[in-house]
Amino acid sequence: MIAAWILVAVALFALGILVYVAIRSRTRRVDLEKAVQAFRSLDIEAFRNLVDSGEEAFLRNNLSPKKFREIKRQRAWAALIYAWEAGRAAAALAKIGQAAQRSPDPEIAASGVQVAENAFRLRLQTIGACLHLLTEVVLPDLQSPSLPPLVDQYERTAETLFRLGRFPSREQGLVRPKSA
Amino acid sequence: MNWHKVLSLVLWITPHVLLGVLVVVLCKRRLYREFPVFFAYVLYEIAQFILLFALYSIPGAGKQYAYAYCATLLLSIALRFGVIDEVSKDLFRESQLLKVSARRSLQCVTGLLLVVGVLLAVYAPGDNSGRWIAGVSVVNRGAAMVQCGLLLALLLSSRFLGLSWRRSTFGIALGLGILTSVDLAMFALRTAFASWVAVEFFNLLITSAYLVCVSIWIGYVLAPELQPASLMIVPNDNDNDEVGTWNRELRQLLKH
Repeated sequence: MIAAWILVAVALFALGILVYVAIRSRTRRVDLEKAVQAFRSLDIEAFRNLVDSGEEAFLRNNLSPKKFREIKRQRAWAALIYAWEAGRAAAALAKIGQAAQRSPDPEIAASGVQVAENAFRLRLQTIGACLHLLTEVVLPDLQSPSLPPLVDQYERTAETLFRLGRFPSREQGLVRPKSA
Repeated sequence: MNWHKVLSLVLWITPHVLLGVLVVVLCKRRLYREFPVFFAYVLYEIAQFILLFALYSIPGAGKQYAYAYCATLLLSIALRFGVIDEVSKDLFRESQLLKVSARRSLQCVTGLLLVVGVLLAVYAPGDNSGRWIAGVSVVNRGAAMVQCGLLLALLLSSRFLGLSWRRSTFGIALGLGILTSVDLAMFALRTAFASWVAVEFFNLLITSAYLVCVSIWIGYVLAPELQPASLMIVPNDNDNDEVGTWNRELRQLLKH
């Protein structure tokens, strides 16, 4: 009997999510400027510094174990927020890439493919990075390798995004001039 | 004929009439080429209804009806899995990267959900007083749980990854998601409460959900595909179209 009611609760929860997703999908719009802003708000150098293994080794050697754990937790938490925000920005970029992919202009479409693929890759990497950083928050004594793939991926995605901005638009609705 | 019987019949017949409308729409828009499994599922549901309704109308064919119901149910469950597979293929069609990684993740989710379904069938088989009804409910409950979980995983991962749905694909997934979640709740309760009164009441709810689901399918299949949303392009004032300049500018901005 308890199993039945648990399943009813699960089903109602699922129904709620489905309705929410359906409503949200009607109101969501893709905004390239917002995505660029999101990327601009991320300090990649600061993130690189937070996940740098050399910095970590320095702190480990110069701080008491208790203080090191405290600092490490704070650094990991800050890096996690960066990774999370980078992931959100990547999801927004993926939407833009897919919209550009459907452009009749082959150049924009090709750029769109690149933007979307890079964004998806970055999004997937941020999931891994977040899990990794969460482990560090919980277990600060764990020796952590650096996260260069994520940083590189971030930069590659940013590059392709900005390359997309080079192409003049012929498709109404896809790209709007600044004054519009 | 009492109001309850009339309501049951209306809610049983109406969705299948609407499925006929859906077949016409799918043919007119040539969507059967893009969604062959979904098209086959819709046709199968209509055929199943005709068979079951014919058996229901023949007096004294209760046993045959029960056998036909069980037999057709299994293929219906299999076809629904096919529809989910078709939806996932369509969703990940534009990304080579996701085609591999997302399908692998979905296989893991399916495996996990199947294990939970089997464990539930073993440890929470429910009320066995009306044996075949309870048995069918357990099978349906397990299938609904796996299907609902898969559709939910698809919807949530698409949101998480920033994947764009085509309207028709989204409609199919949404309709099936609502149907399977209601199925899950109703068959879970039917497994626990196998009395005829309860079964009749749950049937009403399931057929109502089916009506909503078919209406969603028709609505989304009829709706025109959304044009790409308007994007604000990065201003092209100076020589900022150069990747290197942009990166330097970005770093400069980030330093402040």
